Amino acid sequence: MRYRHRRTVAAAALAAAAVLGLPACSAVVGEQASLVDADSLTVGVKYDQPGLGLEGEDGGFTGFDVDVALYIADRLGVAAEDVEFVGLVSSEREDKLVSGEVDMVLATYSITPARKTEVTFGGPYYVAKQDVLVRADATDIQSVRDLEGGSVCQGEGSNSARRITEGLGIDVEQMDAPSYSACIDRLREGDVDAVSTDNLILAGFLAEDPSAFRFVNNPFTDEKYGVGLPYGDVRACEAVNKAVSEMYQDGTAAELLDTWFGETDLEVTTSVPQFEGCS
Amino acid sequence: MTTPQTDQMRPPGAQAPGPGGGRPARFRRRLRTTPARVWLLSAMSVAAIVALFGSAAFTLNQARDGLNVLGHNAGPQAMATTQLYLALADMDARMADVLLMGTDHDLGSGREDALEHYEGSRARANEALLQAASLTEGDTVEERNVQAVLDGMGTYEQLATEARLINDEAAAPPGEVDGAALETYREATLLMHTELLPKAFNLGLDSSAIVRANHEEGQESVAIGLVWVGVVGVAAVASLIALQLYLRVRFRRRFNVFLLAATAGSVVLTVGVVLALTTSGGHQSRAKEEGLDAAMALARAGAIATDMQADQSRYLADPERADNYQQTYLDRAQAVLFRPATNLDAYYEQIDGVTASYPDLPGSGGSDEEDPGTLGYLGQRAQDALLPGQEDALADVLAAYDAIQDRDRAMRAAAMEGDTAGAIDERMGIAHSEDGVFREYVDALDELTRLHEEAFTEGIDRGDRALAPWTWALPAGTLVLLALVVAGVRPRLAEYR
Repeated sequence: MRYRHRRTVAAAALAAAAVLGLPACSAVVGEQASLVDADSLTVGVKYDQPGLGLEGEDGGFTGFDVDVALYIADRLGVAAEDVEFVGLVSSEREDKLVSGEVDMVLATYSITPARKTEVTFGGPYYVAKQDVLVRADATDIQSVRDLEGGSVCQGEGSNSARRITEGLGIDVEQMDAPSYSACIDRLREGDVDAVSTDNLILAGFLAEDPSAFRFVNNPFTDEKYGVGLPYGDVRACEAVNKAVSEMYQDGTAAELLDTWFGETDLEVTTSVPQFEGCS
Repeated sequence: MTTPQTDQMRPPGAQAPGPGGGRPARFRRRLRTTPARVWLLSAMSVAAIVALFGSAAFTLNQARDGLNVLGHNAGPQAMATTQLYLALADMDARMADVLLMGTDHDLGSGREDALEHYEGSRARANEALLQAASLTEGDTVEERNVQAVLDGMGTYEQLATEARLINDEAAAPPGEVDGAALETYREATLLMHTELLPKAFNLGLDSSAIVRANHEEGQESVAIGLVWVGVVGVAAVASLIALQLYLRVRFRRRFNVFLLAATAGSVVLTVGVVLALTTSGGHQSRAKEEGLDAAMALARAGAIATDMQADQSRYLADPERADNYQQTYLDRAQAVLFRPATNLDAYYEQIDGVTASYPDLPGSGGSDEEDPGTLGYLGQRAQDALLPGQEDALADVLAAYDAIQDRDRAMRAAAMEGDTAGAIDERMGIAHSEDGVFREYVDALDELTRLHEEAFTEGIDRGDRALAPWTWALPAGTLVLLALVVAGVRPRLAEYR
């Protein structure tokens, strides 16, 4: 990231205060570097998640998360050509943000109390719900409870199936696959009865082949997709929140949701989510 | 008596213009005379003292403004804005209770009581919206949010009233909400949770952001002002010392008592103003962080818990969506007080653990990778914001919160066993507006919030008090300094008359 301008006044004041030996002056001048002042951004996104963050053969990234990132960058005063996208897997989101390799993460990144101890979250920009995807012809599954005795596939490292077994107390067989796209393949082949994770992720797969699958449409749990920011960058967090509010007010959010998930029967929410708070 | 050199004894006006002496040269020659130099040095000292007064007065004013905005303007307004979410959540909670009660109007604290509280919350929501409207004036994004909440409230009330009337007409018994009434209520509560509450919450967050930005900008400009006061103060002292030294060399005096006093006075004035500003700034920061920020976080803990306990009524009133309401109950509970748990049974255990180990919070060491600690509004954050002597108040809040979870467990157990009447009794007992466990929680939380609000007012007052003496001490001190300079220089200049 490059900075538009340094806080020269504050720095000069600090220097002068140090020279003059004025007491405690440094304690009150405290504006830190913030993404708000950046004029280029490196944004971490998913690279294997159709509809959200998918790397094309030309190395470009497309998806809802990518478009939201571009909208936010624009509101922070960073032009699209100054935004660089980097593909991330889920497990490296915190590390890359903490190390400063990326400035911002929009990668189906759920806000959790534990993550909030390492990352400051702007948004959420969307609240996804965990839902279940089944084959279009599996008409006997109408609610999540109908999965009793069936098998549910989850991506490695995910605990979405546990939410069905432990959270809801439904007895299902849990199958692990290396990724959710592998889960979708198994569902198509009939090796598993259902795939369960965030409905936005499922909708991304469904949009690629709308006639093959359908949602059970029994959303449970809120997955708050946040904008991961360097820990403590309150100014950037507030600016991101403002941008997300605008994105919903000016209709961009509804448009983007329609662009990426309009093909599916996903019920999208088109009003601004409840933010997490920046401090 | 001193014996000044003869050429310098001549009054400036009597000096003959030298050959080829232009204006600059004449001026330089004039400056070479002792009285002129005394005049010059005195004028510099006076100017520096006046500048010290100016910079100090300006910065003190900025500090006072900052305190005033935080303490009496943006701060209380932001606090009022956080009430909006609480009022809206309470409206929806009361409506769910009324529907759940059905024809039995004496469950818990009764239907009349619930409707009265609904009305009260509606009035408070309107009031908070007015506050929010004035706070967000000029900010189009937030103004639109205020407008959207205003519009949405009208629609919500229509739907809620309709649901209640349908249910009354159908004479639905407790726990068996009429189908059409339930449909309408679902629409109402969905509107509340997707349109109204998020925007209300965001408005509260935005007013916190405004307070933070104001506060930081104010502190920054005071810090810059402080540097100016310091620089000008040093200049004043330097010019007074220069004057002193010049008089000493020229007039062979050991020292000039008046100028010495003026020098000491300038040091005192500069250091005094700097100290007052730093002290006041410290009080202001603490008032914001330990007072206002903490109080607002607790207000959010109260508001989200209000919505959480209403999920109990929704859980019982809408069996078809009971799973979802149970999940949102857990989600909201985790926002209020987080412990790692994937379901409610695990959560109950964890919360028992918190109250048992308090004042130590479980998992706070960070040794366990699976356990990020005790987080959420009432977790580590509330603990860190505590002021000395407040531990008991937080202990009360946590105990009351634990009691809600205990009763929740009992309620769900009854519901699972098919004992609907027992479950409804539990629920209405929790929500009883006089002696319910939720009431106890709210009271304990109010008490802790009050302590933080007191710390806020107290911090602002202290900040004001640190600055107050300088209202008169600065002009008075400046006049004394000027008088001292005059008293110190005048006798010397008199020697040249």
